[in-house]
Amino acid sequence: MEVLKEKVEEEEEAEREEAAERGKKMMRPVEMRREELPMTQEMLRDLEKKLSEIEIIIPEPPIITKDTIDISKLPLSYQSNTLKEEHLLEVADNFARQYSHLCPDRVPLFLHPLNECEVPKFVSTTIRPTLMPYPELYNWDSCAQFVSDFLSMVPLPDPLQPVVKEEEKAPPKKYAIKPPRDLSSRFEQEQETKKQEELKGEEERQRKEEEQRLLEVEKAKTDPLHGLRVHSWVLVLSGKREVPENFYIDPFTARSYSTQDDHFLGIESLWNHKNYWVNMQDCWNGCKDLVFDLGDPVRWEYLLLGTDKAPLSVAEEEDDTMNDDDVENLGKEDDDKSFDMPSSWVEQIEISPEAFETRCPNGKKVIQYKRAKLEKWAPYLNSNGLVCRLTAYEDLECTMTLEIKEWFQNREDTLQLRHINKSTGLIIDYFKPGHPQALRVHAYKSMQPEMDRVMEFYETARVDGLIKREETPKTMTEYYRGRSDFLSYRHVDFGDRVKKLALNSAESNPRPMVKITERFSRNPEKPADEDVAERVFLIPEERTQLRYHCRDDHITASKREFLRRTEVDSKGNKIIMTPDMCINFEVEPMEHTKKLLSQYEAMMKLKNEEKLSRHQAWESELEVLEILKLREEEEGAHTLTISIYDTKRNEKSKEYREAMEHVMHEEHLRQVEAQLDYLAPFLAQLPPGEKLTHWQAMKVKDECLSDFKQRLIDKANLIQARFEKETQELQKQQQWYQENQVTLTAEDKAWYLSYYSQAVFRMRILEQRLNRHRELAPLKYLALEEKLHKDPRLVEFLEVFV
Amino acid sequence: MHRLYNSVEPRVMDEDMLKLAVREQGPKEEAGQLARQEGILFKDVLSLRLDFQNILRIDSLWQFENLTKLQLDNNIIEKIEGLEHLVHLVWLDLSFNNIEAIEGLDTLVNLEDLSLFNNRISKIDSLDALVKLQVLSLGNNQIGNMMNVIYLRRFKDLRTLRLSGNPIAELDDYRMFICAHLPGLVYLDFQRIDDHMKELAESKHQYSMDELKHRENLIQAQLDEERAQQEELEKHKAAFVEHLNSPFLFDSMYAEDVEGNKLASLPGVSELLQAYKDKFVTICLNIFEYGLKQQEKRKLELDTFNECVQEAIQENQEQGKHRIAKFEEKHSLSLNAIRDESDLINIEVKILEYSEDITELFNVLMTLEMQLVEQLEETINMFERNIIDLVALFIENVQSLMAQCRDLENHHHEKLLEISINTLEKILKGELDEDLPDDLRALFVDKDTIVNAVGASHDIHLLKIDSREDELVSRTNSWCAHLVDTIHKNEIMRNRRRVREINQYIDHMQNELDSLECSEVID
Repeated sequence: MEVLKEKVEEEEEAEREEAAERGKKMMRPVEMRREELPMTQEMLRDLEKKLSEIEIIIPEPPIITKDTIDISKLPLSYQSNTLKEEHLLEVADNFARQYSHLCPDRVPLFLHPLNECEVPKFVSTTIRPTLMPYPELYNWDSCAQFVSDFLSMVPLPDPLQPVVKEEEKAPPKKYAIKPPRDLSSRFEQEQETKKQEELKGEEERQRKEEEQRLLEVEKAKTDPLHGLRVHSWVLVLSGKREVPENFYIDPFTARSYSTQDDHFLGIESLWNHKNYWVNMQDCWNGCKDLVFDLGDPVRWEYLLLGTDKAPLSVAEEEDDTMNDDDVENLGKEDDDKSFDMPSSWVEQIEISPEAFETRCPNGKKVIQYKRAKLEKWAPYLNSNGLVCRLTAYEDLECTMTLEIKEWFQNREDTLQLRHINKSTGLIIDYFKPGHPQALRVHAYKSMQPEMDRVMEFYETARVDGLIKREETPKTMTEYYRGRSDFLSYRHVDFGDRVKKLALNSAESNPRPMVKITERFSRNPEKPADEDVAERVFLIPEERTQLRYHCRDDHITASKREFLRRTEVDSKGNKIIMTPDMCINFEVEPMEHTKKLLSQYEAMMKLKNEEKLSRHQAWESELEVLEILKLREEEEGAHTLTISIYDTKRNEKSKEYREAMEHVMHEEHLRQVEAQLDYLAPFLAQLPPGEKLTHWQAMKVKDECLSDFKQRLIDKANLIQARFEKETQELQKQQQWYQENQVTLTAEDKAWYLSYYSQAVFRMRILEQRLNRHRELAPLKYLALEEKLHKDPRLVEFLEVFV
Repeated sequence: MHRLYNSVEPRVMDEDMLKLAVREQGPKEEAGQLARQEGILFKDVLSLRLDFQNILRIDSLWQFENLTKLQLDNNIIEKIEGLEHLVHLVWLDLSFNNIEAIEGLDTLVNLEDLSLFNNRISKIDSLDALVKLQVLSLGNNQIGNMMNVIYLRRFKDLRTLRLSGNPIAELDDYRMFICAHLPGLVYLDFQRIDDHMKELAESKHQYSMDELKHRENLIQAQLDEERAQQEELEKHKAAFVEHLNSPFLFDSMYAEDVEGNKLASLPGVSELLQAYKDKFVTICLNIFEYGLKQQEKRKLELDTFNECVQEAIQENQEQGKHRIAKFEEKHSLSLNAIRDESDLINIEVKILEYSEDITELFNVLMTLEMQLVEQLEETINMFERNIIDLVALFIENVQSLMAQCRDLENHHHEKLLEISINTLEKILKGELDEDLPDDLRALFVDKDTIVNAVGASHDIHLLKIDSREDELVSRTNSWCAHLVDTIHKNEIMRNRRRVREINQYIDHMQNELDSLECSEVID
C-alpha cells in the first residue's frame, strides 16, 4: 500500500458526516485516472475522503512498479484478507453477478481492485478517515489543494481498464488513466470545442481564420476515447459543516465543480468508507439531472444493507451514523451490525511536518497547461528561494516562451515576484517592504546603467520621499511625495557624453545635464505669486524659466525667465544685470520685481539652486548605480532568510542544539564508563599485576556467571518470600475479619477493607514482578555471558576456547 | 547714562543720515553696484543700524514701512517715539539710551525681540501690544518693584528675560520670584532655568501663585463672559431683533414717560400694567424668535448662493486654465520652431499662425468669461429677487406683530384713561379712599389735564414702538440693499479683473511674438 495509498482520515466527525463524500467513477468522463489500478482505486477513495479531510499519499512511484515496493514490509492486512473481508468480497461478487445479469449493457462494477500486494480489496475498505494535525487540511479547498500537490499522477497502462483481479470470472471493469498533460488539456479542449461552436455561430469575428487553425489543432487532438475513460473524483454532499449544496472536487486540480457541470458525463457508482452505491439513474444528459439522495433505492442501488440504514432523507441518517463514529470506534461500530463494512485495512496516514511543508513529491511539481507550464517547489528547496514559476508559451508545443512569472519566498532582498516578458525583454521585479534601498518595483531590460528602467520605492521608508524614478537612455524622471520643500517632480534631460581624452578623470564621467525640470506642489504659506510651480533650468543656455502657482481666482500664472549673460558693455565694464536678462509676466504686477537689484538677487539664488538640483540629480544617478550594484550582489548571493522559529533551518540554533547534544552524549559516555566493573570483585582475588591465564580467565568467568545466577535466584526467592508473607498476612486478617465480622465497628470494617485492597494490590505487584523476573532472568544471564565473552580482559582466552 | 552727552553735539535723524546708513549697510559688490545705479528706496529696506550717532530724537523713519530690524542703541534718546509706522518690526534695539518710560510701542504687534538695556526705566508697562514678544532685555535700569514682573505674565511666548542691574535684582528672592511667576521663561539673565530651580520656585511661591492664578482666572472668566455676551448681541443685531428677547423695549417706553410712571401708582393700574407688560413682552419675544429664524433663512440662502457662484467660477477657471495650459504647450513648441526656422517665408507663415493662435486663445477665453458673466447675472438676479422677497416677508410679519403691540398700547391707553377719569370723578366727588402721591394728585386737577397726561404717556409709548419698528425696517432694508449692491459690485470687479487678466496675458504673448519678429527682422 505504501505506494500510493493515501488514506483519508477523518478528523472531525462533523466533517465527515457532513461530507458524505463518495468517489464516483464514471465510465464516460473525459478525465481518467492516474496510477495503476489498485492505487487508482485507493486513491479515488482517498480522494473522496479528502473531502472529509485529509489524505496523504506517499510520494513513491505508482504501483505499477511493483518491484519498487517492498511488499514484505507492508503490514499483514495488506497481504491477506480477513474472514470478514473475504465475506465482503463474496457479497460483492454476488452483487456484481446480479448486477451484470440485470444490467447486461452496463460496464462491470469497480468493486475490488488489487492492491499493491496483488490482493483484492473492496474499495470502501481502502478508505480510512483520519484526523491530521494541520489546520490547513480541515477545509476542503486547502485540503484538496494539498492532495493535488502531494500526489503525482501516473497514467494507467490501459486508459480504459483499471487492473482488477485476474482470477475473477467476471473480469472487473477497467479504468483508464491519462497522462497529466491530457488531463488539463482535455478540459481545455472541451472548452475550446465550445468556443469553436460559438465562433461558428459568430461569423462576424475577424479572427475566423485563426479559429480555424485552432480548430484543426484541436481536432487533431480530439480524444478517440472520449467518454470511455474512467475517472474518479470526490462528491461532497450538502448538509454538514455548512456545506450549502452538493459539489464535486477534482482531486488532480483541487478545483470544485458544480454537480451541473458539463464535464461530468455520468456516474457508475459511488462509495465511501461505509457503503457502495450503484447509480441507477440515466446519465444521457451528463450528471446534471442526478439526484443524490442515497437513501432512495430506486436511484441508488446499495451494496450493504446494514451500514447505511437510510432509505431516503439520507442526509440526516448519515449524520446520525457518522456522528457516532470517532476515529477510535470505527472498528467497533462494525461489530454491532449484521454485516458492516470491515474496518479499513490500510494504515493510518502520517504526514511529517517536513513532508507537509514539501507538499509535492520531492518538493517539486510540474503542471502542464495548454500554452503554459506551472512549476512548484517547496520553500528552501531552491537556493534562490524560487517557489513557483509560471511559463506562458506562444504555441501549443510550448517551445516559444511568451512570459515567465517567478515567485520567491524568504529572500533576504525581499524579492517576491519576477515577471519576465520574453517578447519585450522587460523584467519586472516586485519587492516586499524591507529592501535596504526601499525598492518596491524594479522594471528593467538590462542591468546596465543608463538604460530604460523604472524603479518604484516605498516612499515612506525613504528620507527624500521618492516614489518613482523612471529612466531612459537620455532622461531621468523622479516623482516625490511629502517633501518639506514641496518638490514633487524632477525631470532631467541628459546630453551626449563628452569624450574625455585623458584618463586622469579616472572613473566618473557623468553625462552632461541639458535640462532640469522641477515641479513643486503648492506651499500654503506663500502667496501664489511667489510660490514656484515649475522651474526649468536650461543649463547650456544658462536660461532659467519659472512658472508660479495660479492664484485662486485667476486663470493665468506668473512667469519669469532669467537669461544669464556675461558680457561686457561698450565701456568694458562687466554687465551685471540688464532688464532684458529677466522677462517677467506677472498677473499682478509688483513693484519690487521690476528692480534690477531684486532680479539680480533672485538670479543669484537660482544659480545656487541650479547647482543644488544638479547635485541632487547627480546623486540620483549615483544611487541608481549603487542600487544596481546591490541588486547584482543580492542576485548573486540570493541569501534566504530563516525565521528564528524555524529550528530546523536556523543554523545557529542548530549548531547550538547539536553542541548541547554532543555535551549530553559525552556526559552519558562518562557515566557508562563510571559503571561498576562486574569483573572487579573476582579479579581482585587474583594476584595483582599478573596476566590472566586461560584457566584463571575461565574461572573468573564461571565465578562471575554463577555469582550472577545466584543473585537472580536470590532475587526471585526474595520476591517469592515477600509474596508468601503478604499472602499469610492477608489470610490472617481475613480470618480475623470473618470471626469478628458481626461485632466489628464501622471504622474497623473500613480499615479492613482498605487493608484488603492494598494487600491485594501489593500481591499483584509482587506477582507481576516475579513473573517479569522469571522472564527476564534468563535473558539477563545470557546478556552477561555475552558481555563476558566480549570483555577485553577475557576475550583472548575465551575466544580461543570457543 | 555715564556718557556726557553734551560732550558731543546731539544729532538729528535727517534724510542724509538715513541715506548714508542705508547705502553703507546695503548690498555689496555686484549687487551694490546695481543698488547704487538704481538707488534704494527706504521702503525696501528691511534692516537698519543707527548706533553711536548721538541721536536725541527718533524721527523721519516713517518711510521705512517694511523694516523688520532696527538698531538705535548707544544714542542719547530720551523718549520712544516715531516708530508707529514700523509695524513689521521684529527686532528693536534701544539699549544704552536715556529712556525713562516705556511708550510709543503700541503699533509694533510683530515685535519679538526688544532691548531696553541700560536706560532709566523704573516701571514695566505699555507693552500690551507686543503679543509675540519672546526676548526682553531690561537690564541696568531702575526697576525697583518686584510687582513689575507680574505684568510680564501676559506674554505667553516670552522665553528670555534680562533684569540684572536693577534694584530688584539685589533682592534675595529675585530669581525664585521670577521663576515662579513666569513659568514659561527659559533663560533669565543669560542663565538657563533648570527644572530643579523651577520646582523649588514653584513650591516656595505656591501660595501666592495660587492666589494670583485664581484672580487671573476670575478675570479671564469675566472677560470670556463679556465676549460671549457681546457675540450674542452681535448675532441678534445681525438679525435686527436685538433686545427684543427682554422687556427692554417695554422698559424703554416708560423710561422717559414721567406721566406714565406717575399714573402707575393709581389703584388698579399696576395690575393692568403687569398684564400689559406680560403680553407686550410675549409679542416682543415672538418678534425676536421670528427674527432669528429669518436670519437663519437668509444666511442659508446667501451661503447657498455663494457656494453655487463659487462652483461656477471655479469650473470656469478650470476650463480657462486648461485652455491656457494647452496653448502654452503649443506655444513653447511654436516659439522654438520659429527660432529654429531659417527660411524667412516659413518664419512669416509660422508667426502668422502663431498670432492666429493667440487671437483664438483670446477669443476662447473671452467667450468663456462672457458666458460666465451671463450665467452669473442670471443667478444673481434670481438671488436678488429671493432675498428681497425674504426681507419683505420678514418686515411684513414684524410689522403685523408690531401692530399688535400698538393695539395693546391702545387698549392699555383706553383702560388707563378710563381708570384715570373714574379716579378724577372720585376725587372730584371726594370719594377717593386711598391717598395719592402729591405729584400724581397734581394731575387730577381737571379732566383736560388728566387726559393730556394720559395722552402724553400714550404718545411716548407709540413713539417708542414706532421708532423701534422703523429702525428694524430701515436696517433690514439697508442691509438687503447693501448686500445686493455688494454682490453686483463684486461681480463687476471680478469680471473686470478677469478681462484685465486675459488682456494682460494676451498682450504679453503678443509682445513676446513681436519681439521675436523684431529680432528676426534684425537678424
